[in-house]
Amino acid sequence: MFPVIACLLIQGFELRVALRSRPRLSVVPAALAPEPGREPLLGAVTAAAEVAGVTSGMRLGEALATCPELVLVDPDPAGAEREWEGVLRRLEDSGFGVEPVEPGVVVFETRGVERLYGGVEAALTRALASVGPAWDPRAGAGQRRFVALAAASVARPGQAVIVEGEEERSFLEPLPLSLLPLEDERYAELEGLGVRTLGALAALPGGAVAERLGQEGKRAWSLARGGERRRVRGRSPAAELVEALSFPEAVANELTLRRAFGALLDRLLARPERSSRPFRKLALSARLVGGGSWRRTVTLREATGERGRLRSALGPKLTEIPAPVVELRLEAVELAEHTGQQLTLVAPEGEEVGVRLREGLRQVRASAGGGAVGAVVEVAPWSRIPETRALVVPRDV
Amino acid sequence: MSTAGRVVGRLNAPRPALVETAGSGEPRLVNRELVTVVREEWRVVDRWWTEEPVDRRYFEVVLESGRNVCVYRDGERSCWFTQRA
Repeated sequence: MFPVIACLLIQGFELRVALRSRPRLSVVPAALAPEPGREPLLGAVTAAAEVAGVTSGMRLGEALATCPELVLVDPDPAGAEREWEGVLRRLEDSGFGVEPVEPGVVVFETRGVERLYGGVEAALTRALASVGPAWDPRAGAGQRRFVALAAASVARPGQAVIVEGEEERSFLEPLPLSLLPLEDERYAELEGLGVRTLGALAALPGGAVAERLGQEGKRAWSLARGGERRRVRGRSPAAELVEALSFPEAVANELTLRRAFGALLDRLLARPERSSRPFRKLALSARLVGGGSWRRTVTLREATGERGRLRSALGPKLTEIPAPVVELRLEAVELAEHTGQQLTLVAPEGEEVGVRLREGLRQVRASAGGGAVGAVVEVAPWSRIPETRALVVPRDV
Repeated sequence: MSTAGRVVGRLNAPRPALVETAGSGEPRLVNRELVTVVREEWRVVDRWWTEEPVDRRYFEVVLESGRNVCVYRDGERSCWFTQRA
């Protein structure tokens, strides 16, 4: 039997983190402000903002015109990452091998702990309790990821909804299309065609959907029918190597920040837990005066533990900090497994080339995310329309 | 609510091109570069039964720099694109 996949969902996670220091804003129309330099689209919104007609993803100008009293909350990416890591660790401490999807959404299998806790439902109750009621977590479970996510989306805070294999179709049928990862215009196109529920989309012929909406529509159609059966791959436990420096007064001087960064780097390099392993990915973050935060993650092209190379890779990021800093943190996000690199006498071939290629692809994935490594798949090599002959699809390394 | 979308791209997607034509409709300038020879010309008419019909007039040309380029005129949108055919 296929294992039960569970999904734990914390709606509006990044907004909740940003509102922790200003809880009174959670009951007024408020929204997560767009990040500087990005498209002016709102992040998550409070329930009061939704009542006022403001939705997540809305253009800033349109939102302010709809609800002039809307309060914009600065995002706290460093805080969100820290809190999310805390949630994941609490789940791991309860025995779940977690695969984070995005901040606020995580999937895991319950098979390993069902006997420990006394069944799927008890395991989900345990997962909800380990996250804590302050986050209003919801849980869902099914035999496929999308079913688990949909179940978690309809659950009430603190509740778990379990969907049995034979009930999947009837459970998904009445749910809205907004559960699908589609562009806004696609929703509009489907609504224009009278398709408003997952059931209505799933009932259409797959070929017609792909013809009309392209690959994105085909994927949505497949999800509306439950999606693929893919096992959960628990993450490797994250390295807990963090060094932080608090300043008695907010610092904006670049020279002082560089010196502080140098001191943090020395402390991080000296940590015995590193066991001489080089760094592959580091994060530099800052708590800013006024309550906001800033964070940049750097993936090194080649894992290294050399001070000079680390300085030149991360040092320039200090100039991007937008406001005076009250605390600077340096975190080793990922360490390489090897402790040194053997130079070659003869040109590599066969398996050695394969190992190096996979290592290179892993670096790309670590740097640019899960969808960054793709494979070319010929779908219609005979087609007279060149762009329909092959697709680039994500590939797991 | 959204799930983490997995990126899927098309290979060899057409790119907009700046093309000036002669009276016959053949390209004379492609991206401000003079066309020396039109090597081949063909038409692709497909999917006329859908709402996204394809009507393209392809030209394989050699530019003044010696580059071989394929361009087409999209009859539906009345604009030019380059693409490896």
